[in-house]
Amino acid sequence: MPLEPFKSSQPLTMGVELELQLVSLSDFDLTASSPDLLHLLSRKPFPGNVTPEITESMIEINSDVHTHHSELVAQLQVIRDTLVQAGEQLNIGICGGGTHPFQKWSDRRIFAKPRFKEVSELYGYLAKQFTIFGQHVHIGCASGDDALFLLHSLSRYVPHFIALSSSSPYVQGNDTLFNSARLNSVFAFPMSGRAPFTQSWSTFENEYFAKMEHTGVIKSMKDFYWDIRPKPEFGTIELRVCDTPLTVERAAALAVFLQALCRYLLERREEPPVEDDYLVYNYNRFQACRFGLDGTLVHPKTYESLSLREDILTTLRKMEPHGAALGGTAGLQHLVQVTHEGSDAHYLRQQFDRSGSAEGMVDAAIQRFRGE
Amino acid sequence: MPDLQVFMAELGWPLAIALAWLSGEFIHRWTRLPRISVYGLVGFLMAQAFPTALSSGASSTVTLLANLAFGLILFEFGYRINLHWLRINPWIAVSGLVESAATFGVVYLISHLTGMPPLTSLLLASLAMSTSPAGVLRVINEEDSSGQVTERVLHLVAINCVLAVFVFKVVVGFWVFQTSGSLTQAVSHSLIELLMSAVMGAMLGFIVPAVLRLLGAIAQDGTVAFAMGVVLLVALAHAFDVSPVLATLTFGLAARHSRVAFSRTERNFGGIGELLTVLLFVFAVSTLEWERVVAGAGLAVVLVLARFVVKAAAVAAFAHVGGISWRKGVLTGIALSPMLVFVTLLLEQTRYMGIVLVDELAALAAMTLLLEVVGPIITQRALIWANETAAKEEH
Repeated sequence: MPLEPFKSSQPLTMGVELELQLVSLSDFDLTASSPDLLHLLSRKPFPGNVTPEITESMIEINSDVHTHHSELVAQLQVIRDTLVQAGEQLNIGICGGGTHPFQKWSDRRIFAKPRFKEVSELYGYLAKQFTIFGQHVHIGCASGDDALFLLHSLSRYVPHFIALSSSSPYVQGNDTLFNSARLNSVFAFPMSGRAPFTQSWSTFENEYFAKMEHTGVIKSMKDFYWDIRPKPEFGTIELRVCDTPLTVERAAALAVFLQALCRYLLERREEPPVEDDYLVYNYNRFQACRFGLDGTLVHPKTYESLSLREDILTTLRKMEPHGAALGGTAGLQHLVQVTHEGSDAHYLRQQFDRSGSAEGMVDAAIQRFRGE
Repeated sequence: MPDLQVFMAELGWPLAIALAWLSGEFIHRWTRLPRISVYGLVGFLMAQAFPTALSSGASSTVTLLANLAFGLILFEFGYRINLHWLRINPWIAVSGLVESAATFGVVYLISHLTGMPPLTSLLLASLAMSTSPAGVLRVINEEDSSGQVTERVLHLVAINCVLAVFVFKVVVGFWVFQTSGSLTQAVSHSLIELLMSAVMGAMLGFIVPAVLRLLGAIAQDGTVAFAMGVVLLVALAHAFDVSPVLATLTFGLAARHSRVAFSRTERNFGGIGELLTVLLFVFAVSTLEWERVVAGAGLAVVLVLARFVVKAAAVAAFAHVGGISWRKGVLTGIALSPMLVFVTLLLEQTRYMGIVLVDELAALAAMTLLLEVVGPIITQRALIWANETAAKEEH
């Protein structure tokens, strides 16, 4: 199937997808409850969209397309309240966080559909370990060329989003010492990583995608697990590196940060992206995953060492006029606060120390998601 | 060569357990039938073949071990109950109350109509209210099921067990009052006993997590500590003549809700828990006699069917308002079938008082055997039909 044409959409519109955990309030482990929850939710109109995911202990929600932070945050809050209320009726806790801290990957139930079975056989334990929860942010682009320009220009800011959203410090009951351990599960897949360096949509379509399809390795864009990937049918680029934050407010703030960055980058005042920007890409991404806000970056153009926290603050300050123009100042301020108080991963570790157990950590995540 | 009966007297229990376990493993592998059904069947057949070898007095080691096994299961059961949910979704509790009351009423009516004395009918009706927590929990763990039917069955069983213990003790108290004429004795055998068991369980439920917290090892595993707590509690309940059922259930509930600390225990308390479960299910049927089972079979089938229909209908009636589909509601009610272990141990507690209900009531013997073997299979089917079990990988 050839790649579909890039559908032009209104620039700088945004949409958010969140993968959420379904937790049994009896033992705080993941529970395969999405069919029951979806049944109950189907009785009333849902303020947005909710869909099942590969394992039954996970659901995905997405917002409508928005231009303003306030609308986005309001819709996400209504979605959250609807979910929380339905979950309570069924003894299901709903929470964010990039990983469930103590679920055993061997316990996860893969849907009995042939496609999931194929995936499971091909990837072995990777498929089950893929019970991870991310936030995806879509930004509307006028053209495929704009999309690819933004995609490569944003590569320098990928570590910012990883550090700000990081909420997966624990895996299989142990502290990984990473702030975003979730991304390690993504990187294990062969089609993960960065998109190839092409700046025009026709080159991407005719040279890269067509060749890759010819090799038989991939069938559609869905087979690429890139950190940022174009979504031609929506006319967007999709940032996929964020852990699902513990609150919908943070999810909205991250979306607004991306929106402001894209507005800034489209003014094309920065040096244009080049292939060599990716020399430091994996290193920077590792720093952000491992150390979060305390990580150290190498600047892709100057090769200067930067504190990630400082670099985020500098960037946020630079985004102020763009945030103001888009009505997203509150969202950017929220993120400034994160650099002071620490990420969700930091919060979760605190909760572990306070309660003494991973269950206590999940309980705290559930309370935090409710906005309490 | 020694006589077979003499030989069996020495080796009766170990052999019975080993045989039950082996049969359970093989038959489960071939047919996917629940292991505990097989344990019950093998136990019953062994007990018929070698009645003296598998006898057990109220204070024998086997009875004590079975009590301990049951205590461990009840603790795990209580630990999975979320009382907060019952407050948020009151329809769970309502359906629990209604299905218990309706079962009580219907079973009483039927046995009364067949000409049974009122007291016997009352005791029978109170016992029929309960679902076996051991049977249900073992099937849920064996199938690794999760979903609304699973959750609701757990919570409904907790409700109907507590109600059954309560009603049973009150009826027994009533009986003691009638025969001995002592009101204090009647009260001490019902309400005070229940209260004491609950208080004992609750206290341990606060102490054990607190100790774990002090040890600082809770992040790892609370299995041994909680098992130790159950051992203590069962012994205490025995010593003070209170209900070990309620005490261990409260222990689990309190340990979960005290929020002193969260901690995990191994499912089924690990390998030793599994071993004790085999013993428990063999023990539970070893007291039944073939003649009585046959004699009571007719009435038992009627009662079992009535109980089945009443529970399914009563739970299903509240399915929609409770937030699940009608189908899952019916399946939840159906899954409440298992009975027995609970009954037997309740009876063990009362034997010394002169009520030897199983001996008097053939229908109960047949009913419990039927539900011991068939009940878990029905629960398992209900969970499978509800799509809540882990799909077994094909080899």
